[in-house]
Amino acid sequence: MHDILLALYKKIEKVKCLNPLNYALKEIRRRKYRTLMNVLGFAIAVATLITLVMAARGWEACTTEPLNNIGTDIIYIYTAPVAPSNKGCYIVNHLFSYPFNQTLLDEIEQQPNIESAVPILMHRLRAMVFVGIDPTEIVTNAVLPRDVIDGRYLKPEDGYAALVDKEYAELNNLTLGSTVNYVADYEVVGIVEVSATNLMKSHIYVNLPVVQEVLPEKPIGLVNIGLIRTSSPTNVEETAADLEENYPNSSILTGSDLAETAYSIIRINEETAWSFSFALVIITVLFMIKSQLGNVAERTKEIGILKAIGWSNSNVVTQIVTESIVQATIGGIVGCGLGYLFALYTLSTIGGEIGGALKLVSVDPLLLGIGFGVAILTGIAAGLFSSLRAARLTPVKAIKTL
Amino acid sequence: MTKIYQKGGTNEIKAIDNVSLNVKKAEFLTILGPSGSGKTTLLNILGGLDMPTSGKVVIDGLEISKLKQNQLVKVRREKIGFVFQAFNLIPTFSAIENIQAALAPTRMTKTKQIERATELLNLMGMLNRSNHLPSELSAGEQQRIAIARAFANNPKVVLLDEPTGNLDTTTGKEILSLCHKASKEKGQTVVAVTHADYVKNYTNRLLLMRDGQLIQQE
Repeated sequence: MHDILLALYKKIEKVKCLNPLNYALKEIRRRKYRTLMNVLGFAIAVATLITLVMAARGWEACTTEPLNNIGTDIIYIYTAPVAPSNKGCYIVNHLFSYPFNQTLLDEIEQQPNIESAVPILMHRLRAMVFVGIDPTEIVTNAVLPRDVIDGRYLKPEDGYAALVDKEYAELNNLTLGSTVNYVADYEVVGIVEVSATNLMKSHIYVNLPVVQEVLPEKPIGLVNIGLIRTSSPTNVEETAADLEENYPNSSILTGSDLAETAYSIIRINEETAWSFSFALVIITVLFMIKSQLGNVAERTKEIGILKAIGWSNSNVVTQIVTESIVQATIGGIVGCGLGYLFALYTLSTIGGEIGGALKLVSVDPLLLGIGFGVAILTGIAAGLFSSLRAARLTPVKAIKTL
Repeated sequence: MTKIYQKGGTNEIKAIDNVSLNVKKAEFLTILGPSGSGKTTLLNILGGLDMPTSGKVVIDGLEISKLKQNQLVKVRREKIGFVFQAFNLIPTFSAIENIQAALAPTRMTKTKQIERATELLNLMGMLNRSNHLPSELSAGEQQRIAIARAFANNPKVVLLDEPTGNLDTTTGKEILSLCHKASKEKGQTVVAVTHADYVKNYTNRLLLMRDGQLIQQE
């Protein structure tokens, strides 16, 4: 008898054991429209979370990158309403500033949590920007050895030698050995390429003592910018606050200050992004609960039959939660995929340059994992809530449902 | 036992009125009666799907009328098989899956579940329709599957609610023959309620029910 049955069994094609997963897949195929709506709900919530958080991170990276690429945490200046004259002016990017005694930076370097305070003298005459640097500082500086694309970096013993910005060199047909003029003549010893977002981006870089000597005002021993590097990224704000307190007439700029300027324009930071995403997740949970309650209501009779033939409440709960998790899994995967693509696109448009923030920030795999996890948790919550209703059904009343 | 709907209300209905019933092991009992006589209500109470307003139900030595819902589920799963009036197959399950639905919550291994379902399909002559959905089966075929499902767990008691109600006479007789055979082979107690007269040819004992009362025994 057993052999006959086995032979018969082999004739049956693709007999699968009934389990919560393949039951869930049947229900998903049976209710295509509801499944599609649920999957889209999960996908949109996850994609929005990923895109918003990555956009916020991209903005933050773009606004702190100008400091990061010169190895700086804090900029120390004295801003001034100095009008430009035909002799030029001291600037920080587009801000006018007063020069101050270079020894002040030696004093600042002794402050707690400060690793270095590097002097810079930045001068503008008509459309040209001219920067004096200390070439012994190769970690924090207006231009760094890694920025040299041709020739060499400045040496402390260099006299009238200059580094020239690549774009300026191309515009003026300058090569190594050429002569470039800013108040005096300098031999081009190196061509540099720095990011457009570099706050210290200039046309010409020369040794600081030479700059102090050649400028008409003869600012010997004077600089107008201090680039400050802290001992740890975690104590930047604390150090900046100390500097503001100890040097009240100065202007202290940090990455946060730059970011706030950007935030005031676009009003999004990572905290805001998470808050908005959390609200969206709550809405998604409520939507899923409503949808699953509808699912349970449509299957009242079916659930009654199953309970009548011996399915316990836990069997019913397991089944409904499994269905919800399957939909959440599909929605989570789709959402992660969409979120990844939207985040890539958003990052590439942030920052103004081609490629934008994508050069600085990549889509975080952990964030994709969090998005997927949120979808699953949402699915479990919706499934549990709606299955409680199913568990309360009495078989005889449920079966009589039309 | 007695079952009253809307007790104390203005439309109080005594669906079961002081019914006392003893069914022996391996007996095939049939309860005849017209529509509205309380047969289905009686069967639902015997099957633990409903509770009597007063009185008790004892199955295989266990008083099920005092059990909690989760205990009743266990009894329904292990001791009782039920064939509903309208088949009540799960529409998205194939024939074999509908039988497996009764086995899924048990401790039976997956392989055993499929073997048992296959065995029952063979007994019902439905092996070649195992992967068909209920919508692809005739009424007689659906009823066979429903019966197979009811017998899946080798219950002590099988309750049949109008097993031939939606079938022609020939098919109905086939179904009753199958139930009788399955019951005889396994020694299971069968209680069938029906208004079809020809069922008495397959039964050990026949009772009549009218207006909620068992009024005659033959």
